[in-house]
Parts: sequence; structure tokens; C-alpha cells
Amino acid sequence: MGHFIRLLFLSLCVISAQAEELSAADTLAPGQLVDDFSMPSAIGGWGQRLAEQRGKPVMLIWLDRCNQCQEELVRYQLLAESYALDQLVAWFIWAPHKNDVPPKMRLPVLLNDQYWSQSWGFNPRPAIMLINKDGVLDHLILGELSGHYDETEKTLAQWMTEQQLQASAENGQ
Amino acid sequence: MKKLSLLAACALLGILAMPVQAEQQNANIAADIVQVKRSVLELNKDLYELEEDLLSPATTRAAFYFSLTYGEFFEPLSIEVSGAGFEAVRHIYTERQVAALRMGAVQPLANINLGPGKHNLRAIIRGVDQLGQNRELVVEQQVEKTDKPLLLEFVVSDVAEQQSAAAQLKFW
Repeated sequence: MGHFIRLLFLSLCVISAQAEELSAADTLAPGQLVDDFSMPSAIGGWGQRLAEQRGKPVMLIWLDRCNQCQEELVRYQLLAESYALDQLVAWFIWAPHKNDVPPKMRLPVLLNDQYWSQSWGFNPRPAIMLINKDGVLDHLILGELSGHYDETEKTLAQWMTEQQLQASAENGQ
Repeated sequence: MKKLSLLAACALLGILAMPVQAEQQNANIAADIVQVKRSVLELNKDLYELEEDLLSPATTRAAFYFSLTYGEFFEPLSIEVSGAGFEAVRHIYTERQVAALRMGAVQPLANINLGPGKHNLRAIIRGVDQLGQNRELVVEQQVEKTDKPLLLEFVVSDVAEQQSAAAQLKFW
């Protein structure tokens, strides 16, 4: 009986380890090309397509459940806007849930809904993606937005400097 | 002596003619390469057509297109085409795409397979009018699919008299 329980426990451990590997493998990782998507605006206005932003650095902020959570996002909006002159494109991506109302922001808030077949979703959320001008994911910051602002600010500053240096080196050639 | 000089002249002519022959050969090879490339392109085109015929034969081939005439009274944000027998086609427009449509671009919206017979199509074009108000243009029409490809264009055009826009279906 003891052997059976030990065997069962070991089997469960192996299965859970495999499941973790699968979920890790399924998640987009830095260095990978980010698939194109088109999403409509959640707050009115134009839809956006990722492929149209090639040549510019892009910051995607995937929101977790958010009901008029603009207060939480203001800092991120200001951060993104401070790099607007350096051509940073920043979008909030909001998924509807029950009667939630999307946040009203100056930056585009995109509606992530499976109804639109041109889009795809990302999990886990919240998450911040920094996508370079070639469409490759350079940084992926996972976790609550409120707890990761400093990390995002620091990473973004360093990344934008790298992007600018790379762009000026390419222009010099 | 005369024979010797004649022989020397011939040899000289032969030597001079050698580069010309080489150039001629090079030209022939270049022409052959062009011919081979052309054949490959033709073969590729034939294979593409064959693949298209196999995957989507004329009897079931249908395609949707979208265009915008002027666009002063309506800007599309999305389009959705639905009907029995095919999966709904949905598209989200970006500012750049609408700018292209305004300049006269005709958008190939989707290629679908549609069985022969009559089909009810419903297209909802969501957008905003010149005042920024949300508007929906709806086209509902019955179309008949024969054994020939069916090419349909959803056209949104301004109706200046009504300060508005209207959508209609155009058969190619």
C-alpha cells in the first residue's frame, strides 16, 4: 500500500512538472517574434494593428481584470508619453469581464476579445511587453502593475537608450 | 613568302575572333538562363493555379472585397460579413488602412468557399459619421452562386444630398 501511494505521488509530481514545462513553453518568451494582431478600440476610435508599427519600439500593457482602473494606469501612461518623441508606441490591452467598463485613457485602449479572429490573447496577466522595431519581444515583465512600476521604468529607460543607439548606428551606416 | 604572310594573317584573324566567340557564347548562356528562369516562373504560376483550383475550385470560389468612395460622411472601424455555409468574416480597420481606402484602394477582404445555390448575406459595417457619432451600415442581400467564381464588393459611398453614406453590394 505504501509503495502504491509513493508511486502515485511520484507520478503526480512528474505529471505536474510536465504541465509546467508545457505552460512555460506555450508562453511567449523574449527573443521571439511577436505574432501580428489587429484589435478594435475599447473606448472608441481606431483599431490598431501591430504589424503597422514595425520600425518603432512598442510597449504593450496587458491588463488583468480592470473596471475603470485608470488611476492605476496613469503612471504608466505618463511614462509611455515621456518617450513619445522617441517614437514609442504604447497600448493598453483590456479584456472585457461581465459589466466591467474599460479605463478611459489618452493612449489607445484595445479590446481583447476572441470575437475578433485577427487578435490573440496573452496569459498570464498583467504583463508588459517591450517589442523592438523588428517585431521581436525584448522584455517581458510579469506581475501586478502596481508592484512593477519601478522595474518597468528602469527597463524601459535602458531599452529605449539601446533602441536609440541602434537606430543611430543604422542611420550612420 | 606570300603563303606564309597569308597564313600569319589567318592566324591573327583567328586570335582576334576568339574573344568575339567567347562573348557570343556568354550571350547564348545568358539567353538560356533567362529562358530557364522564365520557364521556372511559368511552372510556378501553373503550380499555384493548380493548387488554387484544387483547394478552391471555381464552383465554390467566392471572394469579398471592400471599398470606400470619398468617405467624407463615414469612416469604417470594422466590417462583419455573415451568412449560412461559411464562417463569418470580420475585419478591424486601422487609420492607415482607411487612408488607403480613401485614396481608392480596394481591399481583398476574404476568399471563401461557398456551395452553389442561393445564399443570404448580411454585412454590418461599423464606423463613425462626420460628427463622430457611431453608425452602422447594413447590407442584406441574397446572392446566387453558380459554377463560376463569385466576386462581391461591399461599397460604401457618400450620399451628398443626405449628408450621409450608404453601403451596397456590387457584383464583379
